[in-house]
Amino acid sequence: MLDTLKIKADFPIFKNHSDLIYLDNAATSQKPQSVIDRITKFYSSENANVHRGVYPLSEQASEAYDLARKKVADFINAKSAKEIIFTKGTTDSLNLAAASYGLDNLKPDDEVLMSDFEHHSNFLPWKNVCEKTGATLKILNSDDDGSINQKEWQSKLNKKTKIVAIAHASNVLGTINDIKEISAIVHEVGAVLVVDGAQAIPHLQINVQDLDCDFYAFSGHKMLAPMGIGVLYVKEEILSKMFPYQLGGGMIESVSLDEVVYAEYPEKFEAGTPNVAGAIALVSAIDYLSKIGLSEIRSHEIELSEYLLDGLAKIKKVKLLGSAAPSQRTGLVSFSVEGIHAHDLSDYLAKQGLALRAGFHCAQPLHQSRNCGATLRASYYLYNSEKDLEVLLNNLEKAISYYG
Amino acid sequence: MDDLYRSELMEIYKDPTHKGDLASPSISLEKQNAFCGDRLHLTLKIKNNIIEDAKFNGEMCFVSIIGADFLLEEIIGKTIEQAKKIDQAKLLELIDLNLSTSRIACATLTLKALQEALAKYAK
Repeated sequence: MLDTLKIKADFPIFKNHSDLIYLDNAATSQKPQSVIDRITKFYSSENANVHRGVYPLSEQASEAYDLARKKVADFINAKSAKEIIFTKGTTDSLNLAAASYGLDNLKPDDEVLMSDFEHHSNFLPWKNVCEKTGATLKILNSDDDGSINQKEWQSKLNKKTKIVAIAHASNVLGTINDIKEISAIVHEVGAVLVVDGAQAIPHLQINVQDLDCDFYAFSGHKMLAPMGIGVLYVKEEILSKMFPYQLGGGMIESVSLDEVVYAEYPEKFEAGTPNVAGAIALVSAIDYLSKIGLSEIRSHEIELSEYLLDGLAKIKKVKLLGSAAPSQRTGLVSFSVEGIHAHDLSDYLAKQGLALRAGFHCAQPLHQSRNCGATLRASYYLYNSEKDLEVLLNNLEKAISYYG
Repeated sequence: MDDLYRSELMEIYKDPTHKGDLASPSISLEKQNAFCGDRLHLTLKIKNNIIEDAKFNGEMCFVSIIGADFLLEEIIGKTIEQAKKIDQAKLLELIDLNLSTSRIACATLTLKALQEALAKYAK
């Protein structure tokens, strides 16, 4: 297991809230000092707008921003830095994909396929695009463990399917999907694969060339970087044919009253002043994660999942949502307690310093498919220890007897 | 920890006085709490401008049950005009719970349903 005391010391939030047991990492992660310092450094001594000025500060900011793009490309093993579009976050990335690619490429007879466990941010943009283009939205129903079986794929995926949009890992079930296998069958019918990587990128070493997906969307803030910076990876052959999502400054070659020549991608898709500090701090987060080691973090999380699932199995009335094995899930477990509302439980736990998410986790269709109400979600990361989960289990038992 | 909620509230939570459905209500209303998806079913019996009886039902949390039971206790026997005057501040004063901002929506779910139902009834 990781030395969580040593890691925790790198995160000032734990100094400022000594009783905090933070188990809401699937919503957002805490930030290490190095990331916070990088933002301060940029605004204190490097701040200027990019791609515009010919004075040294602006040129340096532009170089740092370009370097961040290169480092992100390397981190996910993209073929070229041109395939990396900086966005506000996963939601922005998926909206870009839907608006730019979906609107232009879907026709009334086409079909879009997605799973029943999608986050609203990978569900609503495609639903909207289907309504506007007349394409049909079809849903792949998942099994109890969150996987989609062969029969389901065979009955829903066909020549009419033009886009398949799916989460790499579910934000409620935690299940990690086999994207490589999915991309093979999706490409067989000639469709493109859009992957919502928000819940996977903090935990897994992503290699977009190996996964062979066409789009990969993620946020920085769930992987130790600041809020407001995200990425959309798009395979170059697709990106080169896409029309820009937003229009404005920073994305043109030349403009006259009659004619516009757009800039090359990826700048073409980044209208307006980008989040330069965010992009640079994202690299600091990548550096921090790489220093600890993504595979070490992954082993640590698997051990925590084993511990938590064992503990929950011993508490009567606890019902798990999703049955994926520890090695098949990211660092999270969702559950409900018979007869006690999730918000009452989280209120009780909050009084003990435990920060957990309760509700539908922006995946209402999933809860409807499982016929269940609001759930509690414990999601952990590199700074969480078995001790944190022991406190959770003990207090969960106390809360159950309190309300019971 | 036992002082999270007062003990008399715990008794109401476990056996609320006004939980159920009225057989032939003058008006009924469904309301959903967007925060957690809880669904409330409110039924009112109104005669000569007086709220003679009221019941709430649904899968609800502690805070929304307390908010519902206190509110209905308050309005039964009152005129429509008197009931319409009850606002969020008044209800929160009645239940006297130390609520975080996110839970205020739970406490006031039935109040919102009541005001909608009364507005609908007047038409």
